[in-house]
This record gives sequence, structure tokens and C-alpha cells, in this order.
Amino acid sequence: MRLHDTLLGALLVALAAAFFAYTFTFPDMPGQRYGPALFPRLIALGIMACGVLIAVRGWRSGRPMLDLSPPLRHLQGWLALLAMPLAVVFYWLAADRLGFLPTATIVVAGLCAWLGVRLWAALLTGVLTALVVQWFFGSLMRVPLPRGWFMQLVAGG
Amino acid sequence: MSAIAAAAALVFDPYVIMVVIGSAIFGIFVGAIPGLTATMATALLVPITFFMPPVPALGAIVTASAMAIFAGDIPGAMLRMPGTPASAAYTDESYAMARKGQLELNLGVNLVFSVAGGLVGVLFLILAAPWLAEAALNFSSFEYFWLAFLGLSCATLITASGRTRAILALLMGLAVGCVGIDPVAGHPRFTFGNVDLMSGISFIPTMIGAFAVSELLRGSISTEAMGVMVQERVGALFKGIGEVTRRYWRNFLRGSVVGTAIGALPGAGADIAAWISYAMAKRFSKEPEKFGTGHVEGVVESTSSNNSALGGAWIPALVFGIPGDSITAIVIGVLYMKGMNPGPTVFLQNPQLIYAVFMIFVAANLLMLPLGWAAIKGAGRLLRAPRRILLPIILLFCIVGSFAITNSAYGILVMLVFGVIGWLMEENGIPVAPLVLGIVLGELLEQSFLTSMMKADGDPTAFFTRPIAGTLGVLTLLIWAVMAWRALRGSPQART
Repeated sequence: MRLHDTLLGALLVALAAAFFAYTFTFPDMPGQRYGPALFPRLIALGIMACGVLIAVRGWRSGRPMLDLSPPLRHLQGWLALLAMPLAVVFYWLAADRLGFLPTATIVVAGLCAWLGVRLWAALLTGVLTALVVQWFFGSLMRVPLPRGWFMQLVAGG
Repeated sequence: MSAIAAAAALVFDPYVIMVVIGSAIFGIFVGAIPGLTATMATALLVPITFFMPPVPALGAIVTASAMAIFAGDIPGAMLRMPGTPASAAYTDESYAMARKGQLELNLGVNLVFSVAGGLVGVLFLILAAPWLAEAALNFSSFEYFWLAFLGLSCATLITASGRTRAILALLMGLAVGCVGIDPVAGHPRFTFGNVDLMSGISFIPTMIGAFAVSELLRGSISTEAMGVMVQERVGALFKGIGEVTRRYWRNFLRGSVVGTAIGALPGAGADIAAWISYAMAKRFSKEPEKFGTGHVEGVVESTSSNNSALGGAWIPALVFGIPGDSITAIVIGVLYMKGMNPGPTVFLQNPQLIYAVFMIFVAANLLMLPLGWAAIKGAGRLLRAPRRILLPIILLFCIVGSFAITNSAYGILVMLVFGVIGWLMEENGIPVAPLVLGIVLGELLEQSFLTSMMKADGDPTAFFTRPIAGTLGVLTLLIWAVMAWRALRGSPQART
């Protein structure tokens, strides 16, 4: 998903300008010439310079505004691309309520199935992975994975 | 002497040995599967080792990365698909050798010279690091500023993509590092009143997102099938190695030394070392026309080079806290998070930790011989591991790993955001490694600059009055002058 260089450059300049503008809300450091605003401003100027360079150099490149790689020219490619972010968002929203084990199983099994694995293999993978991760991170590393409704059901809270 | 004994006691502990062997197997697995990189292996290891004491944690990363860089050669020769970017330079040559019926020779050479090259890199590390650390004890904020700045500059000097985009990625990393409480005045920046953002953008989920999740995104849409495997069963590996060594020992030495040097340069790691060494082998060869037809000379030089670069990268990392490549960038970020700031004081206060790292490095390279042999023999089966099952499993590890560091969903969100940003960046030709470098070095750069300014009462010439600072400063300005001159001249290096 490649943007035309001029578009990319313009976007960078805009973002950097916003970054720069926000630094005016920072107070000065008492008694010093340079304070918390210095580095962000220098960085913003640098990004703007890079943006301008990229925009100018790409002006006559003759590339399309938005260059999509072959898989992304079809809906299926986009679905494949969005599968993982959607899975992460699902985990983010559901883990606390459902509990780690069911959420992880759904995430892994769902993604496997989405990518074309047969349903039984996907489910098996999901369950096994969730259990292994629960053991490794939850028990061994003592990471507080969310217990949620599932653990309440199984272990009584 | 007692520090060495203390280090040995730390290393030869059953738990540490178990961790080392486990991470060796993990490293081989990740390295051998195309699409999973050594940096990704390190990124995935971080949440696992975060809760371990420093010796096994560092040992795991050292071992896994060494194995991964070697293991990337296996699919390169068998399938023409490099397992890690570091093997890409000589993948075509290796595959050509395999087609000529010399697969065993190629893999044997890759194994033996990876081990040997890695040992040379460690040797330089052991010799150079303590010596440099002693010089670094006299460093003050001026020297550290120039070192950080020089490090960032070098990262843009040797880059495969265009220089402007590398600088852009660096600046973006520095910008990300600005979020949070500023290091000198203690004022919250870009936090928008959010408590999570006040602690800064958590480094480990960012790194997992940018290195691992972005690769997963790429893997999920790519429909490329596995290449044709030339030969599945691998026979005797070490036949003919003696002859190759006799003819090409100079290539091995040159590759190892050059590799260590490039690894020690901040931002340039194993992959760039391999490319440069392959080019050098061709340049200085007596039979350059044979390159590309399945000639072992280039393979010897580059495979030693990429493994020695790993050791070299730890030199600036341990001594100055300035990463030599993306893997050490990750290590330094983690060390900072655990409150163990890398630098010369570690050599003074915790020398046994340094010696332990050296020992594990040597052990890992020696371990590569038997484990690598086993991996090659089992490669036929290994390389058929289905990606469609692996990718979701790795994603779950990424999610839980990011969660584990912050103990909140904030980590997961950061991971996702930077996964998408990392993917978009690579799609637009902006390299991701300088982004992480910028995040790691940003605070050091700003803090040393502002502290120095305060010490000098705002007088910029103070940055050049101290001898070492002055030398580093002039060197850095010279590098920028050369880059600017090249860009104005419109040389091919200056493409965007």
C-alpha cells in the first residue's frame, strides 16, 4: 500500500507541523535557554525537511497516488490483512470479561480458520496454544492473565 | 580473577543451561523458517525473559540470535528463501551450489564458518570491551552526546533503503521517545492527560509491534508458495571442509574482521555485514566470474561475517549503551527497563555479569555445531511447518507478551498501533530498524545535550573543548558534511 511520494511528503509535513505547534504549550525551564520544547521542535523541523525532500523528489515519478500490491487489489487480500488487527481488538475487548482461555482459543482458532486451516485442526491448535500460553505465562511467569467468566465458571471464582 | 569465577558459577547453573538450550532450539526454529527473523526472535523472547534474572535473560537472547543467524542459511540453500535477512546476500549462491549437487558442502561450510566467525566476533568483544570501558570511565555528558549522535548518524550511513527515509525513521523514533515526562525538566509532553502515556510509549510492546506484528501482517497477505526443494535428505556434512578452509582461509579472516567492525557500527548489523562481505569477496577474488554459479568463496566470507557481526554489535552496546544492531537495541531497551543501565560502570560494579555474557557467547557458538548439524539433518521436515498455523500462534504470544510487560491492555494497544505503523512504513520504503534505534537512543541524546548545555551555561563551544568529545564531534560533523555533499551532488546513494 504505497502512497505517492508527494502525498507521503505532504502528510509528513502536516503531522510534523501539528507536532511543532503543540510544543508551544510547554513551559520554559526557569533560568535556562533550552527547555522541554527544544528537542520536539528540532525533530519536527527534521521531519518536515524529510517530508519536503521526499515530496519534491517524487513529484515527477509518475507513480499512482496509491499503489496497491497484488493481494490487496481484491477483497480477499484486505480481509486477510484485517484479520489480525481485528483479532487483537477482539482480544482487547473480550479478554477481561470472557477470561484468557476462551478468548485466546477463539483468537487462535479463528485466525487459523480464516487463513484456510480445516476447522478441527484450527480448534485443536487454538485450545492447545491457549493452554500452553496459560501455563507458561500464567503459572510459570506469574503474569496475571484475566480470569473472567470462564474461570469463575470452572474454578468458582 | 574472582569475577571470572563468579561468572562461571552464574553460567554453569542448571537453570541457565536449560534456558540456553531452550533458546538455542527456539533460535534455530525461528531462523530456519522464512518470514521469521532473528530480530523477531529476540522481540518474542523479551517478554519471556523479562522476569528472569539478568544472566539467563541475556544468555537466552545471545544464544537465540546466534542460532537464528546461522539457521537462516538452511532454507536459503534448500529453497532459495533466506530464513533471515542476514542470509539473503548469499542465498542465490547457496541455492546454485545445491542445484550443482553440492548442498552438503554448502550447508557444512555455512555451519563451520558461522561457528568460527561467531567465535572471532566474540574474541574481539572480549578483547575490546574492557579496554574501551576503561577509556569510557572518563566520559561525561559531552562525550555521551556525541556518541549518541554519532551512533544515530552511522545508522543512516549504511542503509539499504534511501538515506532520507532512514533519517525520517530515526526522527520518528525520536519523536515517539518524546512522549512522556521530559528527562530534564520533568514536564509531561504529548500525554494529553492520559496516565498511561505519562510513562511514555512502552518500549517493549512498541518493539514487538514494529518488528513482529508488522511481519505477521505481511505474512498473512502474502500468498507465495514454498519454493521447490532441491534435495530433502542431507548426507555427510563435513566432507570437503578441510579443502575449503585451505583455499579460502583469507576470506574467512577478512569476513570475520569486517563483520565484527560493521556489527560494532551502530545501526548496521548482520544483514548489512553479509552484503558488504559478499561484495568484498567478489571484488578481491581471483575468480570473480564464478560468483553466482555456485561458488563457495563468497559463501565462506559472508557466512563468517554475519555471525561475527553479532559479537561486534555487543561492543558499543555493553560499553556505551549504544546499540550496534537491532538485536542489541532491544537488549539495551530491556536493560534500561530493568534498571541496569549499560555502560562502563557495569564493568566496575558487576564485572561477573559481563564475563558471564562472554562465556555464554562462546558456549552458544560452540553449541551451534551439534545443534546446527541436527537442524540441517531435520530440515526437510522442519521447513514444511505450515505458516497458517504458526502465524496465529505467534500473534497470541505477541499479545500476551505485550500485556505482560505493562500488566494492562495499554501494552496490547501500543503493540497493535505500532504493528500497523511498522507495516505501513515498510510498504512505503521507510525502514523500521532506525525507528527503534531512535526510541532507544532518544532519551540519552536529549538528556546529555541539555545537561551539557546547562553545565556550559549555554555555550556551544563547550561541546568541543574536551579532547574525546572534540574528536567525536568533529568526526560526526564530517560525516554529515560528506552526506550533505553527496546529496547535493546527486550521487546514486542519495535516492529517496
